[in-house]
Amino acid sequence: MHIELQERDDVLLKRSARGDEEAFTQLYRRNQAQIYRFALRMTGHAWAAEEIVQDVFMTLVREPKKYDPTRGPLGAFLYGIARNRVMKHLERLPREFSLEVKNSEGEAMVLDVADERTPAHWAEIRERRERVRSAVLSLPPEFRETVVLCELEEMSYEEAAQALECPIGTVRSRLHRGRALLLAKLEMLREAPKRANAGS
Amino acid sequence: MNCEEFAIAGLDRNLDAGGLEFAGAREHLRNCPHCAALYESSLALRVDLRELGQLTSDATAPSRVEMRLRQEFRTRHTTEKSRGRVVVASWLLAAATLVLVATSLVLWQKHGQVKAAKTQPSVAVTAHAVANGPELGGTLIAENDGHEFALIPGAIPGLLDDTTVVRVQMERGSLGALGLSVNEEHANDVVQVDLLLGADGQPQAYRLPQSSN
Repeated sequence: MHIELQERDDVLLKRSARGDEEAFTQLYRRNQAQIYRFALRMTGHAWAAEEIVQDVFMTLVREPKKYDPTRGPLGAFLYGIARNRVMKHLERLPREFSLEVKNSEGEAMVLDVADERTPAHWAEIRERRERVRSAVLSLPPEFRETVVLCELEEMSYEEAAQALECPIGTVRSRLHRGRALLLAKLEMLREAPKRANAGS
Repeated sequence: MNCEEFAIAGLDRNLDAGGLEFAGAREHLRNCPHCAALYESSLALRVDLRELGQLTSDATAPSRVEMRLRQEFRTRHTTEKSRGRVVVASWLLAAATLVLVATSLVLWQKHGQVKAAKTQPSVAVTAHAVANGPELGGTLIAENDGHEFALIPGAIPGLLDDTTVVRVQMERGSLGALGLSVNEEHANDVVQVDLLLGADGQPQAYRLPQSSN
């Protein structure tokens, strides 16, 4: 199934390179969501993710021959471009991150849950989620991308290794380190309000 | 298993779902409250991360991105096509220009040869036509502007390069010896005549200068 998909991606890309717009659209629709999610989770900004997706596929329009099918699936190639763009973005905005994931209209995205639990409970969940998100966004990029791919995107180690163009062992160790950093950061974030309350 | 080994081998795993391979880790958890707390935090973190992932699991790029990309795709491929057409057209134009220039050159050369060939006979024909006119007197003067030679009857025109012009004075009647018809009433008049002598010294054409009219 995986090989068939790769072959089809190849065929579509060749057609696209010859000017077949329908083939390009198919390729875009097949791959855009995962690239967008990766960029969104790495940057925390919908506008940045939008720009990155556009850049990634613009590369596919302008230089389709850059993709070498013998080196891996098209998805991994696109991830590679997306990673470069994300890193550039993070270099430009090293300290800026959002506590909320916002949609393309700039509105905060909330989990739509029909539940009988109390507003206080949901406020607590929301607060915890924001802490986690902020902790993820404050991770160094190499650990962040591993956490994003393996934990948020739920990729296997092998798939993540392919996307990150590194050995599986590296993915494992980065993930382990990333989780440890996250735990430490979350512990700090959890302790901060307590310290603030104790101080007052 | 000690705490360090547990951190490497057990912390990232789901020990409840594992079989015998995690028995050592589970045993360590029961005996080490610090690692047990760490493990609980790790599990909670994984749940939190999964929830965070689910929050954006349906996120896709806005449709305007697709529109912009398709527009760029169209523009790019249209430009490439028209650029290809321009290149082909340029080559065709260059080739056509080359053919045109070559054809013009050949025609010009041919035309030059024909013109050169026609130049001498035309002078001769004109001269011949004038010379074959009526008698020499007033009529001849009227047809000859004094600058052009008229061919002497019976003379064969040769190349102009080999000719010599000689001005002589003679009686008008002597022109009869050159085969021209002369009015008897003016036969004794002395006239100036320019004779065009061929390479063999024989007169080929004559001209009556203005002064002798």
